[in-house]
Amino acid sequence: MENLQALFIEAGTLMLAGMVFVFAFLGLLIIFINTVLVRLAKKYPDAIVENKAQSKKNNKKQDGKGVSPAVVAAISSAVTQYRQQHSAQK
Amino acid sequence: MESLKVLWMSTGLANFELGQVIMMLVGCGLLYLAIARNFEPLLLVPMGFGAILTNIPVAGFSEVGGLLHYIYYAGIDTGIFPLLIFMGVGAMTDFGALIANPKTLLLGAAAQFGIFATLFGAIALNYVGLDFSMKDASAIAIIGGADGPTAIFLASKLAPDLLGAIAVAAYSYMALVPIIQPPIMRALTTEDERKIEMAQLRHVTRVEKIIFPLAVLLMTIFFLPAATPLVGMFCLGNLMRECGVVDRLSSTAQNELINIVTIFLGLGVGSKLSAEQFLNTKTLGILALGAVAFSIGTATGVLMAKLMNKLSKDKVNPLIGAAGVSAVPMAARVANKVGLEANPHNFLLMHAMGPNVAGVLGSAVAAGILLALVG
Repeated sequence: MENLQALFIEAGTLMLAGMVFVFAFLGLLIIFINTVLVRLAKKYPDAIVENKAQSKKNNKKQDGKGVSPAVVAAISSAVTQYRQQHSAQK
Repeated sequence: MESLKVLWMSTGLANFELGQVIMMLVGCGLLYLAIARNFEPLLLVPMGFGAILTNIPVAGFSEVGGLLHYIYYAGIDTGIFPLLIFMGVGAMTDFGALIANPKTLLLGAAAQFGIFATLFGAIALNYVGLDFSMKDASAIAIIGGADGPTAIFLASKLAPDLLGAIAVAAYSYMALVPIIQPPIMRALTTEDERKIEMAQLRHVTRVEKIIFPLAVLLMTIFFLPAATPLVGMFCLGNLMRECGVVDRLSSTAQNELINIVTIFLGLGVGSKLSAEQFLNTKTLGILALGAVAFSIGTATGVLMAKLMNKLSKDKVNPLIGAAGVSAVPMAARVANKVGLEANPHNFLLMHAMGPNVAGVLGSAVAAGILLALVG
């Protein structure tokens, strides 16, 4: 019985230490994401996002002409693909 | 006449023992669950078949010289197979939802309470005559992490004798996530809470996704080197996925390699389903404790999400807390499904993927703590 009591105390210590450590570890990751990664994201945004933003601006201009953004995106991706294939063949 | 007798003695019929027949039926049961019910078929088919092979009399599959013996000692005893699987899981994991909403890491942390609370349950079973040491209790408790490779890795290090029962329990409960979790989620949340719609996640850049696994690895090196085998392989797989320059390696890790290793892992675990190791009261205790661990983990995840919803300025649907137990991506799908039942326009899947992958990290960290303190 005394042995079991000692095991329970050990389990309690493990639980306390374990939960504190898991929270501390993942909490540090939260701080890392909120400080370092968010700043990195602002400093080095994805090139694709910029293109999307540009294409949105362009689309707004063309809205009057009745060309939908989906069509523009499809045509531009097809052109890029064609150019890539063409240059690869060379 | 003598040769006929020798021939008879070399047949399976003359050598069968009752325990072997029962374990073959258990193997057939696993095959049934995998094939007819679609419960974790990728692992349960080789595992069930391994259980049948290892119990064949005379053939000696799991004795020295037998195929399963070598598969077990080469891949599971050394910890190589679960770690390779973890690399593949890393290559399949997208941390985008987690990086976009980092506070969901707390949900992944809260759900690990199921692991540590189950330690008490395992020790308490000593009162009813089951002889579980602290190492056994730790290996059983990790079932609450709902992560197959982590459970197998830890069990192979701390309690190899219990490996078969622990692996069967871990994968069975992961397959039963859609049945175990929803009642707990509904019991702990109100209809209004389940209807909560969450704000759309921000875009996560490629640089963030590349730096994240490296940062996780660095932190593990600093604070918990015991967890680096699991976390390191996971981060390697994830980095291969996100860096964009080794697509072939990433594709191999998440397809061919993980498939090959899964076959051997299943066979190796199946080899531990022998009558003398499985047919005892300890197995019943492990199956019961696994369910307790899983349920407590789900409950604490939901409760933590409720608390976050109260304290945070952005609304948090408490259902996503249940995904903190890992079991990727099943637990996230369950959160999405229960959310849709309350509000047909509420798609929680991406929000639930955050705590879901946080749970994978959390259970790897918990395994590292148990290894460091008990191993």
